[in-house]
Amino acid sequence: MQTVAKLIDTSLCIGCKACEVACQQWNDQEYTLGTFQNTYQTMPDLAPNFWNLIKFRETEIGGAQSWLMTKYQCMHCADAGCIKACPSPGAIVQLGNGIVDFNRDNCIGCGYCITGCPFDVPRLSPKTKKVYKCSLCSDRVAVGLEPACIKTCPTNCLTFGSRTDLQFLAAKRAEELRADGFAGAGVYDGPGVGGTNVLYVLKHAGRPEEYGLPKDPTIPWTVSLWKGPLKWLGNTVFIGGILTALFHFVKFGPKEEHHRG
Amino acid sequence: MDKRVERFSAPERLTHWLVALCYLYAALSGLALWSRAMWWLAPVTGGGENLRAWHPVAGAVFAVVLAVQFRRWAAQMKIDADDRRWLAASPRYAMHDETGVPESGRFNAGQKMLFWLQSSSAVVLFATGIVLWFPESMPRAARLASILLHPLAAVASMGGIIVHIYMTTIVVQGALHAMTRGYVSQAWARSHHAKWYRQLSDR
Repeated sequence: MQTVAKLIDTSLCIGCKACEVACQQWNDQEYTLGTFQNTYQTMPDLAPNFWNLIKFRETEIGGAQSWLMTKYQCMHCADAGCIKACPSPGAIVQLGNGIVDFNRDNCIGCGYCITGCPFDVPRLSPKTKKVYKCSLCSDRVAVGLEPACIKTCPTNCLTFGSRTDLQFLAAKRAEELRADGFAGAGVYDGPGVGGTNVLYVLKHAGRPEEYGLPKDPTIPWTVSLWKGPLKWLGNTVFIGGILTALFHFVKFGPKEEHHRG
Repeated sequence: MDKRVERFSAPERLTHWLVALCYLYAALSGLALWSRAMWWLAPVTGGGENLRAWHPVAGAVFAVVLAVQFRRWAAQMKIDADDRRWLAASPRYAMHDETGVPESGRFNAGQKMLFWLQSSSAVVLFATGIVLWFPESMPRAARLASILLHPLAAVASMGGIIVHIYMTTIVVQGALHAMTRGYVSQAWARSHHAKWYRQLSDR
């Protein structure tokens, strides 16, 4: 099966937030009133019922005023930190097409995935005690439709397709931007997590933090250490402890009462 | 000769078994979360959603009762010079060759080590457990540290508990009875805790 992907060309985003609305509508999310922050930011953050956020950043890059509109949602990592941290088998699954999706019947609400995610995307609902995030509209993709956000995007900022095709497209678009004078333009696709299935074209690819994206996203080392060496250490202690007791029992057995002094 | 000696008072036994009960649940449900290979323990301990809710409650009760037990026993658990010699001679103790193994007071040095291991790991388990209990209201750095330190402390603690259970149920016959019924025979007291036995007889 082909790995699917979403391309976000931030240079074409006008911040209309139609993708936010389409996401809410298709996934049948309850609407929460936003807060006015004196900027073009409408919603403050991702939420259990809000999986697609346009981050508005006002910043200065190279002495020039920049308005950076960035779509923010689950990155659908190939090496997904949420899955690595999740203790409940089958709660978060990676589909054959690369989509990282929740099977909420198996979610126990521990929130480990939130800690394991390098992009700080999953959100725990205090009401249902389950975790929610973008599913890349796995239900739509399964029947040959594009995700709702992409369907609604009016500027071609968003493209859906096979990851290979979109990588090519992203590289080409970055090249165009460089030719247009944005020398720092490039592609952001999270090599530290085995590649993300959400690709960004950034005008300032060397400074993803300006867009609200982590610089070099990787699975947190404490999660990797826990799921790697610590698990071996622990299993050695548990199994070794029981085997040592068994060995001791066979060789030495119980203590006899003896009399001293 | 077979006169009884009180080893553990009723309050001591009560707190011990309350701690043990909470520990057992927290350990089994914790093992389910430890590894997917141990997930078969999840249905045994109430199912995924329930164990996520109950594991921290068991841990909190454990911490409170353990604190009571700590207050009661801490003064008796000080490691002295004899204990250090006991620890140095502990391989011989383990092989039932007790020549040169110093006599023990009410608790031998091994029990004291277990006490300090469990108390210190409980502090870590409690502090990190609070963070993991309410992840949505904790800073990311605290969650990242806790997700590693909680299982690390659990491994240390359970390693000690494996030894504890083996020693008290199999190696030292009568130890379990001391904790269930509260008394031991004079011979047992003299054999395993000679210093303690003399203190009792001197009174």
